[in-house]
Amino acid sequence: MSSEKRGKFLLVDITHNDTKAILIEENKITGKSKSPTTVDEPTLDVTRGVQDAIRQIETAKNIKITTKNGVKQSVKLLCSSSASGGLHMIITGVIGNISGESAQRAALGAGALLIDTFSKDDKRPPYKKIAAMRQSKPDILLMSGGTDGGASSQVLEMAEVIKRSDIKPRYGTEYNLPLIYAGNISIQDQVDGVLGENGYALKMVENVRPLINRENLGPARESIYDAYMEHVIIHSPGYTKLAEWTDERIVPSQAMVGKMLFEYAQQQGVNLLAVDVGGDTTDVYSVYNGVFNRSLNAGIGLTYGIGNIVKEAGIDNVLRWLPSSFEERDVRNIIGNMMIKPHEKITSEERRIQAAIAREAIKLGVNGHKAIAQRLKGVVTERTLSDMFEQALEPTLLNMMKTQLVVGKGDAFKNQTIEDSTMILLDSLQPEGVTELYLDPENMAAPLGNLVDHDRLTALDLYGDSLEFIGTCIAPRGELKTEKDALRIDFEDADVSHVFKYGELTVVPMKSTEIGEAQIVPYRLDVGAGRGKTIKRNIRAGKLGLIVDTRGRPMTRYRQTVKLLPFEALGRKS
Amino acid sequence: MEQVTIIKERRIPTSGEVYVDVGETVTPDTLIAKGMVPSREIHELRLYRNLNIDPETVKDHITKHEGDSVEKDEVVAIARSFFGRQTRMARSPIDGVVTDFSEKTGRMMIKGHPVPVEVYAHIPGIVQELYDDEGARIETQGYLHHGLFGVGGETHGELALAVESGDTPLTSSEIKQEHNGKILVGGSVATLDALREAVKQGVKGIIVGGIDQKDLTYFLGYEIGVGVTGGEDIGLTLILTEGFGINPIDNDLYEFFMKHAGGLACIDGTTHIRSRNLRPEIIFPTLSL
Repeated sequence: MSSEKRGKFLLVDITHNDTKAILIEENKITGKSKSPTTVDEPTLDVTRGVQDAIRQIETAKNIKITTKNGVKQSVKLLCSSSASGGLHMIITGVIGNISGESAQRAALGAGALLIDTFSKDDKRPPYKKIAAMRQSKPDILLMSGGTDGGASSQVLEMAEVIKRSDIKPRYGTEYNLPLIYAGNISIQDQVDGVLGENGYALKMVENVRPLINRENLGPARESIYDAYMEHVIIHSPGYTKLAEWTDERIVPSQAMVGKMLFEYAQQQGVNLLAVDVGGDTTDVYSVYNGVFNRSLNAGIGLTYGIGNIVKEAGIDNVLRWLPSSFEERDVRNIIGNMMIKPHEKITSEERRIQAAIAREAIKLGVNGHKAIAQRLKGVVTERTLSDMFEQALEPTLLNMMKTQLVVGKGDAFKNQTIEDSTMILLDSLQPEGVTELYLDPENMAAPLGNLVDHDRLTALDLYGDSLEFIGTCIAPRGELKTEKDALRIDFEDADVSHVFKYGELTVVPMKSTEIGEAQIVPYRLDVGAGRGKTIKRNIRAGKLGLIVDTRGRPMTRYRQTVKLLPFEALGRKS
Repeated sequence: MEQVTIIKERRIPTSGEVYVDVGETVTPDTLIAKGMVPSREIHELRLYRNLNIDPETVKDHITKHEGDSVEKDEVVAIARSFFGRQTRMARSPIDGVVTDFSEKTGRMMIKGHPVPVEVYAHIPGIVQELYDDEGARIETQGYLHHGLFGVGGETHGELALAVESGDTPLTSSEIKQEHNGKILVGGSVATLDALREAVKQGVKGIIVGGIDQKDLTYFLGYEIGVGVTGGEDIGLTLILTEGFGINPIDNDLYEFFMKHAGGLACIDGTTHIRSRNLRPEIIFPTLSL
C-alpha cells in the first residue's frame, strides 16, 4: 500500500442487478456495500439504490456521508454504470475493416455494446441496412469513413442511408439520437447538410482514421462519454438527479474496467488477458506490449447469448466438457430455457452446463479478439526476409506464450467453485509457458478504474488486493506421446525436483505463496525459450498452489481428472 | 387477461405507395404499402469466353444491349464459326436488365429486376397516421398475450384447439385436413412429426407449451443461435408459451384459448431476446368492424 494520504472517495458502480458503493479513506477501503439497482419499476429512480448502498456504509461506520442533495463536499463521488444493458451503439464506416474497424475500436474502448456495424462494403443492400438500422434502437451512433481529404461520396451515401433510416433512440422518441461523426473532416459541412436537421443530435469530432496508417480514437471516445452523459443516461430514471450529486461524468462501467486492466498491466510490466463472460456478451480485454484492446462478442453469453454458443461452437464441443451421463436432448432443452427465461438461482445441472458453455464462450471471444488486437489494416508493411522467418509480423498481438497474467471475471465464474473456475480458464485459454491466473470475484475493476484518474496508486493497490490469485500455471507447448516425460521442475530454494509426464493435469498445493526460483526443463516441448530449452522463473503459488498442465498445446484431452501432488511429496534433487 | 389498445406500425424499408388513408378501416389482409427495392443479383458475363472469340469482337455478336430486359436462359450473344456449322451462345443466368456492356473488354453486366416489398395490416383496425411513402399506424382493441419464444413471422387465422387439454402432447395424428388455414393450439409439446404434418395440411400457426430444442433444430434445418427470430420460411408460425421441453400450457391460458376458439387470432413468432426483448405475440382482436 502506498503510504501517502489522499482524499475521500465514494465509488459507485451501478450494474443491471446491483448498485455497489465503496468508501475509500486514506488509501484504504473503509466501507463496502451492495444494494439492488432501482432503475426499473416499481422504483424507477437509480438514486434510491445508490442511497441505500451508501446508507449501509453510514450505518456500519456510524458516519454521515449523504446530505439532502447528494453527498458531503469532502467526499468525491465517482459513478459508473452498466444498468439497462450498458451503452448500446451502432457504428458505420466506408470500408468495414479500415474505417469501420477503427470506429469499432473507439466504441469498444468507450465501453459500448455494439448492436450492429454497417459499412459501404458489407453484403447488405441499402434497403436491408435501412430495415436493420430502424430495428436497432441504439443509444448512440458513431459514423466514420474516409481519411481526411479522402473518400467523400461513399461517406455521403452512408449519410443518406442513415437519414432514410430515421433511427430512433432506445429510450423513446422524445429526443434525438446522438450521432457522432468521426470521418473525413473535409466533408463535415456536407454531412451536416444531410443529417443536421433530420432528427439526429449531430456532433462533429476529429476523424478516427485521419490517415490510412494512423488511428485517432481519443476524440471519438471522449465524445461518446459526453453523449452518454448528456443524452443517454439522462433518460434513465433518476440519473439526472445522480448527475447533480457529482462534478464528474457518469461513465460506462466497461470503459472503466478497461482502464483499470490497462493500468494494472502497465504497473506490473506484464502482458495481460482478461475475459468477462456475461449474460449476453463476452468481453475480452488485452494489454500486449503496452497496447490496450477490448473486443466484445455480442450475443455470446451465458443466458441470452447461450444459444449462439451452441450454434457457433457446435453442440458436440459443448458436450465434450460434460460427463457422458448428460443426454444431448436434455442439454439442448436446458440451454434453450436458459436463453429464453434466464433465472438467478440455477440447479447443479445448469451450473455444469454453464461451465461447459463458458469454455466455448471464452474460446469464441478470444478468437474474435484476435481480429481486433492487431496492426492497422490497409497499411502496406514492408517485410524483410528475416521478418518472415522470425514471424515478427504476427497477424494478432495475442500470444498465449507471451501472456504473463490472466484474469477471469463475470457471471461465468460467479456460480463456480475456484477449482471449476480454474478449469474453465485452463481449458478455454490454454495458457502456455508460465502464466499467473487470477479471478476478479468482486468485479472491482469498474469502480476502481473510475478512481485511476484521481488517485492512480491507490486504485492500483486496491485492485491488486481485490484479485484472487489462483496460482501459477506451467504449460508446455507441443505434443508428445502419452506418459512420456514432459518436463522437469527444479525448485531451487526447496532443493526438490519432479518430472511431470505428458498428458496430465497436476495441482501442487502449497503452504506458502513464495516458491522462489524454479528451473523448468522441458523435454522436446517449449515453455517459452524454444523447444527443449530450459527457463528459470520466480514462481508464486496461489490459492490452489502450482498448476502443471502437460495436456499438450493444442489441447486434445477434455475430461481429464486432476492429479493432486503435495509439495512435500516431491523428491530431493538428484 | 384485460382488453388493451394495440398499435402497429406498418412500414416498408423504402419509398413506395401507400394504399390506405387516415380513418380507414382495415382487415389483416389489407395491403398498406408497396415499394420496390433493387435486386442484389448482379452477374458479370465474360462473353468472349462463352463465344471463344476476342473481347474486342464481342460487340458484333451481342443480341441484347444496355437497357434491354432479359429472361433467364435467354440468349444475349451468339457467334457462329466453321461456315455457320458451329454455334456458340451466351445466356442470361437470371431475369433482369442489361446494365452495362463494355466493347473493349467484352463483358456484360446483368442486374436482377427490382424486388417488390409490401406490408399488410396484419390486424384488423383503423388507420391512425400515415408515414409518407412508407406505411401507416394502425390501432385496434383486443387481447394480447406474449409467448416465450417463436419462429416464423406474422400470420392470422381462425383459432382451433387440436388437443383436449394443455398437458396433452400434440402429435401428427391430431392434425387434420380441417385445420388448413387455422391457428392450432397444442398442449405440452409438439412433436417433430406434428410440425411436419401441420405444414403438409396448410396449418398457419401452432401455439404450444413446449418443443424439444433438437426437434426444432431438425424442423428448421439449422441451429437457432442468438434469440432473434421471425424471418424463418418454414411454412408456419410456431409460438412456445412455456419453454423448451415438455411444458403443459398454463391452465388459465388454455382456458382463455378455449374461450376464443373459433375467433380470429393474429400471431407473430418474431422474438428478439437480446436488448429489445421482443417476444412473440398472440392477438385476439375485439374491434367490431
